[in-house]
Amino acid sequence: MKVSFFETVRYLAPEPLRPEWPVPSGAYDREAGAEAYRAMIERLQLVEELGFDWVSVSEHHYSPRILTPNPLLAAAFIAAHVKKLMIAVLGPIVPQSNPVRVAEELAMLDTFCQGRLVVGLLRGTTNEYLTYDLNPTEARGRTDEGMELILKAWTEPQPFAWQGRHFQFRTVSVWPRPLQQPYPKTYALGTSKESCEFAASHRLGCGLSYGTWESTARAGRYYREACARHGWEPGPDDVVYRANMIVADTDTEAQELFDQQSKQAPFPLRAGVRDALSTLDQRNVAGVPRAAIVNAALPTTFIGGPDTIIEQIQRCRDEIGAGVVDLSLTPPSSRDMGWLTRSLELFGTKVLPRIRGI
Amino acid sequence: MFTEGRVEVDGIRARYLEAGQGSPLVHFGADLSTPSPAHELLARRFRVIAVETLPPGRPGSEAAATIGRIIECLGLTDVDFMATAEASTAALWFALAEPERVRALVLEAPTAIGAAPRGELERRMPEVTTPTLVLFGTADRQAAQDTGRVYTKLIPNSHLVFVYDAAHAIGRDRPEAFAEVVADFLERHEAFIISRTPTVIHP
Repeated sequence: MKVSFFETVRYLAPEPLRPEWPVPSGAYDREAGAEAYRAMIERLQLVEELGFDWVSVSEHHYSPRILTPNPLLAAAFIAAHVKKLMIAVLGPIVPQSNPVRVAEELAMLDTFCQGRLVVGLLRGTTNEYLTYDLNPTEARGRTDEGMELILKAWTEPQPFAWQGRHFQFRTVSVWPRPLQQPYPKTYALGTSKESCEFAASHRLGCGLSYGTWESTARAGRYYREACARHGWEPGPDDVVYRANMIVADTDTEAQELFDQQSKQAPFPLRAGVRDALSTLDQRNVAGVPRAAIVNAALPTTFIGGPDTIIEQIQRCRDEIGAGVVDLSLTPPSSRDMGWLTRSLELFGTKVLPRIRGI
Repeated sequence: MFTEGRVEVDGIRARYLEAGQGSPLVHFGADLSTPSPAHELLARRFRVIAVETLPPGRPGSEAAATIGRIIECLGLTDVDFMATAEASTAALWFALAEPERVRALVLEAPTAIGAAPRGELERRMPEVTTPTLVLFGTADRQAAQDTGRVYTKLIPNSHLVFVYDAAHAIGRDRPEAFAEVVADFLERHEAFIISRTPTVIHP
């Protein structure tokens, strides 16, 4: 089992913020922001020392909860400060990006970090559609087409035109190309049937996140079956599972920490927007419809002392098929940096060495 | 095609232009000297009734009462309400006094904040429950664009829009841009922040 640390940048607001998304940017504190990015590097150096395999970043906007609106910039900054960690961009939100630009920037990044890049291509969480005016009903189509175009831009040696449904380019010829050939390890991120099918048909990895054991396992099964239909068998590294974990010295202590956490999103959307988005954003897990997650805190899958966590990671390998877990060790909105450091050290010393064989 | 009418209330004889079908959108403070392309566009979706500017110099609460009686005289109960520039003061007082009659409020280049003495109105803005859209043109040299943030900070369910390259008369300078966002807001209120714009180039 490989382990990735999901870096969200811990912005500690000096004053309480209005619990609403978007959070007014006038409430941003520059010193707190500068300190958050500085502390991030210090934290990731510890993550590297503890033997984690990857650090991951992802695209989120208009709130301090995850302060990486451009995950590629964050990845470039991180890559310059750590030496061994793989840099996992999980990922840019494809439907609201220029896919050619994403292909160019990821290729630059792979070259900057000397081939340590891992790529996840993401449809995006529901509220993010509001950031750049993305029509939610088009998100799926733009994601699929954008992913296809990114892969084509990385691999086509001659200039080409793209006559898509949502994107049109009369000439594409990206420089640089990725250092890793034909391109970095790439995952289609999402539990949906469409995402799993895309990953399987393009021989990509599959990134699953934040579901229950059962639903995530269903998506993992769907992906492996789709791969079989396309004539190949994915390995452990082909499935990444991003999840929340609360690890403590004992199960009881971990459960208490979990019970203390808010089950609400820290910056919810207004009710009218939430309801309208929930109607427009159609989601599924391996073809089974599910409601879009709007305004609810994401579930926590791993809770326990080291022994229990190891059992849960074994279950993750057995039931979900994941060979990489991408972990938040405290909620992104937690202000307790000591808790995060303790969790990192506990996981790194008591869990990590014992899960390599899983 | 607009038809002209007049309504007499509180000793004021106000001229208005009317066009379109659908739910009523009453606009106060409109320049009625020439046809407005924005009114024509909005009249495709709303029954637009554009009333000329009320005489200045009356307290906001009095002007609000007059607005209420004008709307009654027009045979209307609850309306979408749009106000331009100075009319925004009376519009806000009207929304405070009779919130059940204002479905949504659109303030075009409003001047209700920034000109003294208006402390009382600003103090009461947090009580406005009406969904409110505040628009400023980025080339406006008459109204203070910087006050836009104050409206949205004070009025709970409000949104600020900058219309690029429009001056004070936003609806005249950029009628398509103005009418599109106003109509969308009036239809969907706060959910108007969710894009419905299709991007399919080739099916």
